[in-house]
Amino acid sequence: MGQLLINGLGTGLIVALPSIALSLSFGILKFPNFAIGAMLTTAAYIAWSLNIHAGLPLLAAGALCIILFPMVALLCDAAVFRPLRSRGPVTLLVASMGLSFVLDNVCRLIFGNDARNFDIALSRPYRVWGLRINYELLVSAGVSIGAMILVFLILKHTSIGRAMRAVADNPNLAAARGIDAKRVIAATWILAGVLIAASGVLIGMDRAIDPQLGWNYIIVCFAAAILGGLGNPAGAVFGALLLGVVGELATLVVATNYRSGVGFLVIALVLLSRPNGLFGTREIVK
Amino acid sequence: MPGVVTVSDLRTGYGGDDIINGVSFDVHPGEILTIVGPNGSGKSTLIKSLAGIVPARQGTISLFGENVTALKTPQRIAKGLAYVPQEFNVFRNMTIAENLKLSTEFLGLRSHDGNQERTRVLEMFPDIADRQDLLAGNLSGGQRQMLAFACALISSPEVLLLDEPSAGLSPKLVIEIFEKVKAVNELGTTIVMVEQNVAASLPFSDRAIVLVNGAIRHESSAAELSARGDLHELFLKEA
Repeated sequence: MGQLLINGLGTGLIVALPSIALSLSFGILKFPNFAIGAMLTTAAYIAWSLNIHAGLPLLAAGALCIILFPMVALLCDAAVFRPLRSRGPVTLLVASMGLSFVLDNVCRLIFGNDARNFDIALSRPYRVWGLRINYELLVSAGVSIGAMILVFLILKHTSIGRAMRAVADNPNLAAARGIDAKRVIAATWILAGVLIAASGVLIGMDRAIDPQLGWNYIIVCFAAAILGGLGNPAGAVFGALLLGVVGELATLVVATNYRSGVGFLVIALVLLSRPNGLFGTREIVK
Repeated sequence: MPGVVTVSDLRTGYGGDDIINGVSFDVHPGEILTIVGPNGSGKSTLIKSLAGIVPARQGTISLFGENVTALKTPQRIAKGLAYVPQEFNVFRNMTIAENLKLSTEFLGLRSHDGNQERTRVLEMFPDIADRQDLLAGNLSGGQRQMLAFACALISSPEVLLLDEPSAGLSPKLVIEIFEKVKAVNELGTTIVMVEQNVAASLPFSDRAIVLVNGAIRHESSAAELSARGDLHELFLKEA
């Protein structure tokens, strides 16, 4: 039971980062970014290339990936989303699906279909009160928690963070306060890029990297963001942790194949009683 | 008299329809100009267009003689305009302090010292000064309106655009709000406001425009409009 809890929290912490990115993009850019899975895959491959081909240690490769990937995110915005910004959320959602296929296939074209692994030394798990805790799990937890704290400090205590919250709340009023939406959109992509890159590296440490990597996480990222209340980054973290833990604990009573199903059952039950998610607020449309 | 704001042959609207159909008027320095009219006459669309939120389809909007028609809202704000929307005019998930701080952070050279500016406007609005950690979403309608004013005034704008400042307020608060508008005006800020509450707003106004079906039907001093006995006909008769 304790082991399942630890594993569930570990999974939840890794998923929390792209879920925050998804929640931010939904709140500020006003569309659900379906390309988030393919972006995770791309970030993992960038880190893998830096680690294996450039010969950088994983820590340096991961850090460089976190610096470089926001530029990829900005490029995606400039090429795909910016020209379609005024067309509304459905158009942007469809465009993000298209981007997803493009990124996936670029990865497939460059890196092939074979599974790849980081150059990472195998280590014996630590034993604490009879529980096995992997080195990778500790790194994942540390990076995820650090990144989450950083995001919340940025949102709460910096002017660009306040501007991001303002645009998410009321774009017209934000403009009337002199806030330049372009600057906020760029900051959102940079922050989302950092989170996606960090998560891509952590997922690559946890499992093999292949062109399908992102597809395994996209549904759970959406589920976490929706469960927490779309547009609410703290809610996305809670949703990711809850789904991770429920998924693992479910294996006590159902076959492991069905653990995702149990997570979605939880979502269905939550949304039936709280249609805007656990921490979502009802949108007032005038 | 040259206008601080000059609107010439303005045409604007949403989707395929024009709401404002070729409106022209001047806003004189230091005055309170009130735009009144029945529901659906295009008052809010007009003021949103002045603020740059609804783009002009035809005609020009000039601020201090400079054509600002193509400028977006933040650029117009940087040129000395401020705008208070009718509803949702504060960031509900932020505290009073955060709302005020946000109002000084993106104004570039117009705000040299945010703290000094915040102190200045809070002196004008003591109701909100001593509860700065409160979420704006938890304020009463009147307090929210005061906070919205304070946020708009923090940049010391030359021209303040108000979209129905009395909307949803009790009669006592309506008078308080208009007294505050007058006090702000007496400090030198030119004010353009859109109002549904004609009887309450005209005594605090210098000039008035009656807008019906997106066109100006009447323009005069506020006192002259108040004195007319045919306001009802003016509002409702077909063009």
